[in-house]
Amino acid sequence: MNEGHDLVGRRTFLTALARGGVACALPGVAARSLLARDLRSGDEAPSKGPHFAPRAKRIVSLFMSGGPSQLESFDFKPELIRRRGEELPDSVRQGQRLTGMSGNQSTLPMVGSPFPFARHGQSGADVSSLFPHTARIVDKLCIVRSLHTEQINHDPAITFFQTGFQVAGRPSVGAWLSYGLGNDSDELPTYCVLVTQGAGGQPIYARLWGAGFLPAEHQGTQLRAGKDAVLYLADPPGIDREARRAWMRAVRALQEEALAHDDDPAIAARLRQYELAFRMQTAVPEVTDLSAEPESTFALYGDDARKPGTFAANCLLARRLLERGVRMVQLFHRGWDHHDHLPAGMPRLAGQTDRAGAALVEDLARRGLLDDTLVVWGGEFGRTCYSQGRLTADDFGRDHHPRCFSMWLAGGGVRAGTVYGETDDLGYNIVRDPVHVHDLQATLLHLLGLDHERLTYRYQGRRFRLTDVGGRVVPGLLA
Amino acid sequence: MGGDFGRPPIIDFDRDIRPLLADRCFRCHGPDASRRKAGLRLDEEASAKSARKDGRVAIVPGDLGRSELWRRVNAHDDDRMPPANSGLSLSAAEIARLRAWIEQGAPYTEHWSLRSLPDAVPVPEAPGGEPANPIDAFVRARLEREGLAPAPPASKTQLLRRASFALTGLPPTPEELDVFAGDETPDAFARVLDRLLASPRYGERMAVPWLDAARYADTYGYQADVYREVWPWRDWVVDAFQRNLPFDQFLTWQLAGDLLPDASREQILATCFDRLHRQTNEGGSVEEEFRVEYVCDRVETLGSAVLGLTLGCARCHDHKFDRIKQREFYQLFALFDDIDECGLYSHFTNAVPTPTLLLPTPEQEKALAAAEAARQAAGRKAGRTHRDIDPVGLDEWLAQPGKRAEVVACAGHFAGEAIEGGKVANLADPSKPGRVDGAVQVVPGKVGSALRFDGECSVTLPGVADFTAYDEFTIAFWLKVDAITDRAVVLHRSRAWTDAGSRGYELLLEDGRPSFALIHFWPGNAVRIRAKAPLQAGRWTHVAIRSAGHGRADTLGIVVDGTAAEVEVVRDCLTKSITGGGAEALVVGARFRDRGLAGGEVDDLWVFPRCLTELEIDHLAGGSRLAQALARRSFHGEQGEQIHDELSGYYRSLHPDDLVADEAAYRKALAGITAVRDQIREIMVMRDDCPRAAYVLERGAYDRHGAAVEPDVPASLPPWPKDAPRNRLGLARWLCEPHHPLTARVAVNRIWQMHFGQGLVRTQEDFGVQGSPPSHPQLLDWLARRFVQSGWDVQALHRLILTSQTWQQSSVASAALRERDPDNELLARGPRLRLSAEMTRDAALFTAGLLVEKPGGPPVKPYQPPGLWEEKSGASYRRDVGEGSHRRSLYTFWKRTSPPPSMSLFDAPDREVCVQRRQRTITPLQALVLMNDPQFVEAARGLAERALRECGADVEASVRSMHLRVLGELPRPGAARALRALWDAQAARFAGAPEAARQLLAVGDPPHEDAALDLATQAAATMVASAIYSADEAVVLR
Repeated sequence: MNEGHDLVGRRTFLTALARGGVACALPGVAARSLLARDLRSGDEAPSKGPHFAPRAKRIVSLFMSGGPSQLESFDFKPELIRRRGEELPDSVRQGQRLTGMSGNQSTLPMVGSPFPFARHGQSGADVSSLFPHTARIVDKLCIVRSLHTEQINHDPAITFFQTGFQVAGRPSVGAWLSYGLGNDSDELPTYCVLVTQGAGGQPIYARLWGAGFLPAEHQGTQLRAGKDAVLYLADPPGIDREARRAWMRAVRALQEEALAHDDDPAIAARLRQYELAFRMQTAVPEVTDLSAEPESTFALYGDDARKPGTFAANCLLARRLLERGVRMVQLFHRGWDHHDHLPAGMPRLAGQTDRAGAALVEDLARRGLLDDTLVVWGGEFGRTCYSQGRLTADDFGRDHHPRCFSMWLAGGGVRAGTVYGETDDLGYNIVRDPVHVHDLQATLLHLLGLDHERLTYRYQGRRFRLTDVGGRVVPGLLA
Repeated sequence: MGGDFGRPPIIDFDRDIRPLLADRCFRCHGPDASRRKAGLRLDEEASAKSARKDGRVAIVPGDLGRSELWRRVNAHDDDRMPPANSGLSLSAAEIARLRAWIEQGAPYTEHWSLRSLPDAVPVPEAPGGEPANPIDAFVRARLEREGLAPAPPASKTQLLRRASFALTGLPPTPEELDVFAGDETPDAFARVLDRLLASPRYGERMAVPWLDAARYADTYGYQADVYREVWPWRDWVVDAFQRNLPFDQFLTWQLAGDLLPDASREQILATCFDRLHRQTNEGGSVEEEFRVEYVCDRVETLGSAVLGLTLGCARCHDHKFDRIKQREFYQLFALFDDIDECGLYSHFTNAVPTPTLLLPTPEQEKALAAAEAARQAAGRKAGRTHRDIDPVGLDEWLAQPGKRAEVVACAGHFAGEAIEGGKVANLADPSKPGRVDGAVQVVPGKVGSALRFDGECSVTLPGVADFTAYDEFTIAFWLKVDAITDRAVVLHRSRAWTDAGSRGYELLLEDGRPSFALIHFWPGNAVRIRAKAPLQAGRWTHVAIRSAGHGRADTLGIVVDGTAAEVEVVRDCLTKSITGGGAEALVVGARFRDRGLAGGEVDDLWVFPRCLTELEIDHLAGGSRLAQALARRSFHGEQGEQIHDELSGYYRSLHPDDLVADEAAYRKALAGITAVRDQIREIMVMRDDCPRAAYVLERGAYDRHGAAVEPDVPASLPPWPKDAPRNRLGLARWLCEPHHPLTARVAVNRIWQMHFGQGLVRTQEDFGVQGSPPSHPQLLDWLARRFVQSGWDVQALHRLILTSQTWQQSSVASAALRERDPDNELLARGPRLRLSAEMTRDAALFTAGLLVEKPGGPPVKPYQPPGLWEEKSGASYRRDVGEGSHRRSLYTFWKRTSPPPSMSLFDAPDREVCVQRRQRTITPLQALVLMNDPQFVEAARGLAERALRECGADVEASVRSMHLRVLGELPRPGAARALRALWDAQAARFAGAPEAARQLLAVGDPPHEDAALDLATQAAATMVASAIYSADEAVVLR
């Protein structure tokens, strides 16, 4: 690696940075000084670095797209088992709006988890039998049972979760972090996104990791399984590394010739982006090549981790990216939208994700990275305590439920071995310590050293922030 | 803020003070009453300068000591403003500015963009005599004040390159460069502009910024993000620019073309602009919630694209910075809430969301005319009524005694006596029994037993009732419901409710009232009648629906207890077929994601492929009217004649005659028209046939109606024109009034931005107080006035700007000037911009000789890395080999949730919402596109091939040729050496590795047949070409 350094050495680069005369080659900071020119047009220079000492330096989000059921994972409700088939009392629902899917249903029969729960670890937290590996590491987790959101459909809810607002167009959480904290790597993107391949389910899309109105370099970069891990990364067939190096030399000569006649800093900036691209061509395949991992790694993550594009392989890749200075890695795993056939669907999805998610936490801990790495697991909303569609002896579904859902956090600055928040006996409403999505976002930013009210960007005449007009840091989640 | 360098001697409120107050103070002391503190407004002079209750005055002109504002911004305790917890602060320079302003008397002026566009703007005297182009006078006057001089003119080469990209989005050819370089005549450049403006490439280039503003995309957006056919609107935009449609008409047609007198098809097509917002079909969405979202998007797009106002900020509360009240947002909302639309598009059909416009081809026009003529001919024969012509033999038959009362030709009869093996028997055709789904119960009924439903369960009756709108049919049955609910599905032939656009036919109970509809797409393409009287709960009622097969409300009927019910017509606009929705069987009791017949019972259901007479239906209901009529001997008197008529119809059902055949032929002719229509391209448009009452929506929530509002415009802008209608057409007239403060300013600023990379107002999307004030306010006004006076002539405006010395200056800046004016706000140098995503790709295709210049049509799918659509949803991307990979980029398929990545990486917006200006970033991913995207690798091969064919074995000449073609100039010695070195090294490498050469040259579509070229040479030249495409000048216009 680092072969690009023969073109513009790291020292030269840092000198240039120190002089401040030309834009530097870090994507998080690159173009920033160029874009700072936009200051007059209403945008602002980003805040430089954290606002205060961070508890975590990086974050990995395991996003369970579709809305996993809290009732079959982390929020045990024996009362639902006892009252199976009984109608959801109106007094509980309190006129809460339902989706058009179960809103027209004539009965709303309650149903409990068909999967047994048990207490685990020192903390004695309840975890269902679908998540044995997560149960094993429960003392490293802070389980939050009192998340709630304002959105009841996937698109607005996932957009809300990622950007703090239900309508598309705002920057995603990773873009905010890139904007606020910059990049620690000079050969990898700040914000990397990994999507499990081949899983069906609710669609997801690039704007969920987009930069919104922030400068484009803050957008997430999706890394894929296969040769082109980053779009357009691989050289065309017939061009080897040596040929690319020769090509790069010519391009550099062209730019330098241009610079000699017109010392526009943008020319230098563009050249540096070329050189970063050139370095990425080596660095990315290196990081995505899991073959050098020892057997013990696969023993931990499971054999699935050998198959590129699986959730397990992505968890392992996430660890490798974090090790190399990537600020945020976000995994998306689709398929949790269990409107029907939940008793068959939940075990399948849990089976795809449980072991590797837990392995990632353990692996980070083993390498001493968990202390300053934040891990977040969860989806965009929860699921109803009543059956969507017909409740039969061995089958039912659950509709979307925004009023309460569960997530877990681990790592840097998180109060490990605790359970936060509580829902009522029917798992419908929160009765203690609610955590709004904006609160979660504020807390995550806080752990990363950012004040959610100060991390703002001016656009169309308004200072926008991830938490829109709400959010508060939740002390109970902090170590 | 403007003017921070070189403090002006006199404070200008617009430029120096208002933006400051707006940014730091208005949040609590501005237009939003709900957040106002201490009752103080700093946006209004009267409030700012009058005494508070405690006697203190925020601003006392000329008197710092008595100005509370001055004390507060300098306080070091809790009194300090802005307060510490706001996260806002004032710099020393800003405080000094406030001081100067108060000392100078603290003058307030109306916000610059709200001032009426002046009748005339004096052109300033410029240093060094009057320039030919007034733009230069304005710019030089400012430069002189700043002590700066303009830059020398750009070279002719650069000028032609700039103009070609500016007006056509493509570079000049070497031949064009040659001709222009050699043309010493004074009007040489003017003739270049003539040529470029007349080129068909002009419209294609101009369309792109407007497509961004109009949030044009080929898919609906949101989750499923399905394809929608709106490209005919895109082609209209290209065409409108091409023929220089005056801008006021360009706007008027798009906002209100449907309301113009005798609106042409083209004018209606233009209104698709207002339908280009995202739409959803996500299961379970609340229809009204999204419909409201769409209307809001129209208002916000109007604000951003036309008015330069962030109207969206007033959706949930009064605007915090601009004088736009929440009520006023909904007054505009009322103007765009006038169409018969549904908040969800159809999941299970490809129906185009209504309202729509048909776009027949000439052949289809002919077919339509022929089908219409056939209908008229058939109608004349069928138009004779039963009363006019009695069937032959009627009277003899009437005279016969002992006729049996019976209803013949039944297709299905479900008595509902029992459920056996999940089936209910069909007494009319035992081979087609009904299928029970769910917990249908058999209970005591009206006639023997009945079937009882719980809202979820249903009985499907296949093969008996798959009717079209042009089939006669009757469905009759006994019905009893436990309670009246607001909605219950009794029966239907459809797949789903909104998820299928309700396609099919259906009988509902709406507040207990039977409601019968034939639907292509609800509500805009459907016919529905509803009984005025509700059924009674707990009582058996006989209900029949019947259709005479004309697809019109007046030929549908609901018969209750044997008598035609009085009905209201809810919709009567069915123009397309009601089949094809994915369901063929009649279903009783429930529907997917709809509210079924909970607590309802159905008994003795009959289906007839005929439109029964009332006598027959009465007979099915157990009445005796048919028997009595048959026994009757005399038909005198009014009642007698009526009975005679009905019997005549009844007789025909037993003994069909010519008239029955004529009726059938007429229905067939109607079906024939629909068959033609079903084939015709259809596009979403505006049609104001559904005015709704509008309300303030509290906190912007769709279901929280506040005070009612009437259509109007914000009070801070000019009033509604006196004689203009209160609709979108009136709005368009208001926008295009010659003194409107915003429309022309925003329009000319957009065009200025196109040519300079940034507008005179930097914030094209925000001309409000939080936007940036114009760098040259007088010039902006002069241009806007000139634009209006020219008849909103867009091409004349281009010509004016491009012939200015300001635009023609060299863009090279000294370090000192860059330091002083990094943004080029003063215009002491020419524009320098990175090419757009479209220009970058199009120029590569063009210079490689690969561009297929074919105008318009459906979007195309060029190169894109595999798997991008697939990983996000079920859709798959298949590249168009050949032509489709080589069209201009504005024709590239735009999928909102997965836009073409090579374009996104070059800052093309995702087209989710209106975007007024693109970013111009520099990222490593852009470098990767130019290096490795097959599109660019293929272009490099094309460019190389072209040069080799032109120059043969002369390497130097080939390098020069490629450089000239792509970068518009010959390589300087250093560049030529470097490219030559690359060539030589690669030629040697490929000579030793022919397989590598072959692989590289195999990227993309197969090349032109030219076997003469040496593989290694071609591959080496391709590498050189690729390096040239990555040169700075290949993506930056200097």
